[in-house]
Amino acid sequence: MTDELTASPDLFENAPCGLLLTAADDSVTHVNQTFLDWTGYSRGALIGRDFHTLLDAGSAAFYATRYQAELWVRGEAREVALTLVRADGSAMPILVNSQLVVSDAGERSAVRLAVFDSTARQDYEREMLIAKRQAEVSEASVRVLQEASTHFLAASSEEEIAVALARSTKDAFAAFDTAVVLFDEAGDHTFVVGEHLAEALVELDTLRTDTFAVRVDGMTVISSQNEAYASGQRAGDLMRLLRAEAITAAPISDGETTLGAFLCLFGRPREFDHRSIELHHALARQAGVVIARARLQSMIRRLAMHDQLTGLANRNLLGERLSHSLAVSKRTGEPMALLFVDLDGFKRVNDELGHRVGDLVLQTVADRMTGGIREVDIVGRFGGDEFLVVCESSDREAALVVAERLAATIRLPIEGIPDSFPITASIGIAMQLPGEHDTIDGDALVRRADAAMYVAKRSGSDRISFAA
Amino acid sequence: MPTLSSDEPRSLTRNNVTVTGNPLGQPIMFAHGFGCGQGAWRYVLPEFEKDFKVIAFDHVGSGGSDVTAYDRGKYDSLNGYADDILELITDLELSDVIYVGHSVSSMMGVLAANRSPELFAKLILVGPSPRYVDDGNYKGGFTQDAIDGLLESLDSNYLGWSSVMAPVIMGNPERPELGQELTDNFCAVNPAIAGQFARATFLGDNRRDLAEVSVPTLILQSSDDVIAPVEVGEYVRDTIPGSKYVVMSSRGHVPNLSDPEQVATHIRSFIE
Repeated sequence: MTDELTASPDLFENAPCGLLLTAADDSVTHVNQTFLDWTGYSRGALIGRDFHTLLDAGSAAFYATRYQAELWVRGEAREVALTLVRADGSAMPILVNSQLVVSDAGERSAVRLAVFDSTARQDYEREMLIAKRQAEVSEASVRVLQEASTHFLAASSEEEIAVALARSTKDAFAAFDTAVVLFDEAGDHTFVVGEHLAEALVELDTLRTDTFAVRVDGMTVISSQNEAYASGQRAGDLMRLLRAEAITAAPISDGETTLGAFLCLFGRPREFDHRSIELHHALARQAGVVIARARLQSMIRRLAMHDQLTGLANRNLLGERLSHSLAVSKRTGEPMALLFVDLDGFKRVNDELGHRVGDLVLQTVADRMTGGIREVDIVGRFGGDEFLVVCESSDREAALVVAERLAATIRLPIEGIPDSFPITASIGIAMQLPGEHDTIDGDALVRRADAAMYVAKRSGSDRISFAA
Repeated sequence: MPTLSSDEPRSLTRNNVTVTGNPLGQPIMFAHGFGCGQGAWRYVLPEFEKDFKVIAFDHVGSGGSDVTAYDRGKYDSLNGYADDILELITDLELSDVIYVGHSVSSMMGVLAANRSPELFAKLILVGPSPRYVDDGNYKGGFTQDAIDGLLESLDSNYLGWSSVMAPVIMGNPERPELGQELTDNFCAVNPAIAGQFARATFLGDNRRDLAEVSVPTLILQSSDDVIAPVEVGEYVRDTIPGSKYVVMSSRGHVPNLSDPEQVATHIRSFIE
């Protein structure tokens, strides 16, 4: 190359681009006049200086990593966009083509560089880049919200919505892990997603202080482990245990009630700009609305199956459970029992003390009966002052024990009801025994229990009778 | 008959793993840094193939890796890459591993070795830095502005007009791979992923992990490295208990490409 240089010195010195030759270690050995004119350096200042030291810090980093690796591996690098710093400190965008010079002996001896001034192109390109980036960011937000709403619509329960929310947030914010906490009506919280993180997150939450958990627009942000350690050793250790450098937590609300929160864990320190905070909230709002809707639906389902006054199973649910227990009995060959409970003395209370007191009696009896049955049994209100108890896997003795316990608990005085208005129960028991009444259905069993209850009632109140 | 490789663990294709050298030798694993694929080790690997089982691979998003395996959450920090390294070691059924990491991969190796120290015999860190951005008394060598400049530089080189138009300008637009197909793959970087890889690399902070290293460690430091300056190398030396520290005469951030003989010599004398 040096021979060529001396052969046409004018073309080398005054070429319409900067030309340089460096040693393999990047130190400049030759530079042409065009480059000196563009940059304002003297030849003496450049010879022996590393080319990368002429670049701004960002370009120098790119040069040392990507550019040099490519040059060494491929033997050339093309159209590399860099920013050069002129002698007066001003920035000059350039494009560089370079070639590795390999001697006949295979020794990598030098690098040839051609430098082009890309100031005009750079301005244009930068505008394009900025526009492109803005478009990409807004497009990404819209896409995240659209995909989230698609997943939410497909979800049929709170749990599925929480899983969809976790997936959307992980994707949207490049979080390595997420958790979704939901509060139930009693105010208890459940980690629907991220159970494995629960212990550490809950402890971190109790340690959280304003010094390291910044509240931004109603959202909690921990930006780095350093923040956590600054507030205390334990907080920092918990972050390390979670392998989290940063954490965000946003409340999930349907607009009125806080239904829960979602948390994102990040593997490196993070700052969150307004757009990202807003996207957290937008996702939380979407999820909040669908969770509230799912809760409403499950409440409606519950109302359709339960008695409003007592909260016990209603006829619909009793019918379902009775059919189920009969089917189980048929399959397993185990007996089952149905108890028909009718209150004695209730009509007098209702007529003489009023409906409100009557309702109180029904509620009290309902609570007592719920506490008096076995785990596998179900008690429901059949109508008026009549209740049914379905006892799955129960023989005569077991059914009698349950019936006696119910009679005993109902018989106890009720607060606010004078002793002159005693409440007791007449109970009829119908057994479904294997081999007997094989074709019996639920209604027939209820009729048999009802008939037995009448026998009990007729023989004086507060009695128990088995159906024939 | 074509061989069926369906029983090959997914991680091996995901990370484009190549295994060469002595199948019975102690495993030595080479991990590339930011800016290139496993091609960054091409001049060093042959030095070890006679005696060692040599494993090289591409991080997801680099070289010939499976980009469909890219997960923005997982690879947002070095932990995701460290998990991959451990998975490769498990799937290849390796033990007593000598791990050689260049640049950011040295910190991935530290994270992996801290999680499962029993799998590693030695760590060799070439140009390591636990944190690139200055922080109080700690001098990482970069200001936040400089890192922003690097990300900007990445954008203009990968995402801007030049990367789209370059094949057209440079001729052969119908066959841009002409004459480069072999080498290109070695150093390929997926443009869409490069930006996030740069963030995971340059915006992380792994200083706390250094003190927890229990595997014998060699630090190879270039005498003049803008990415990992000598002060950072000394910080790593002072923070990893009992580590060995060598300042090489080679210059620049990629001595494995610019001075492979020297790098190989120091690795050899540390592991033999």
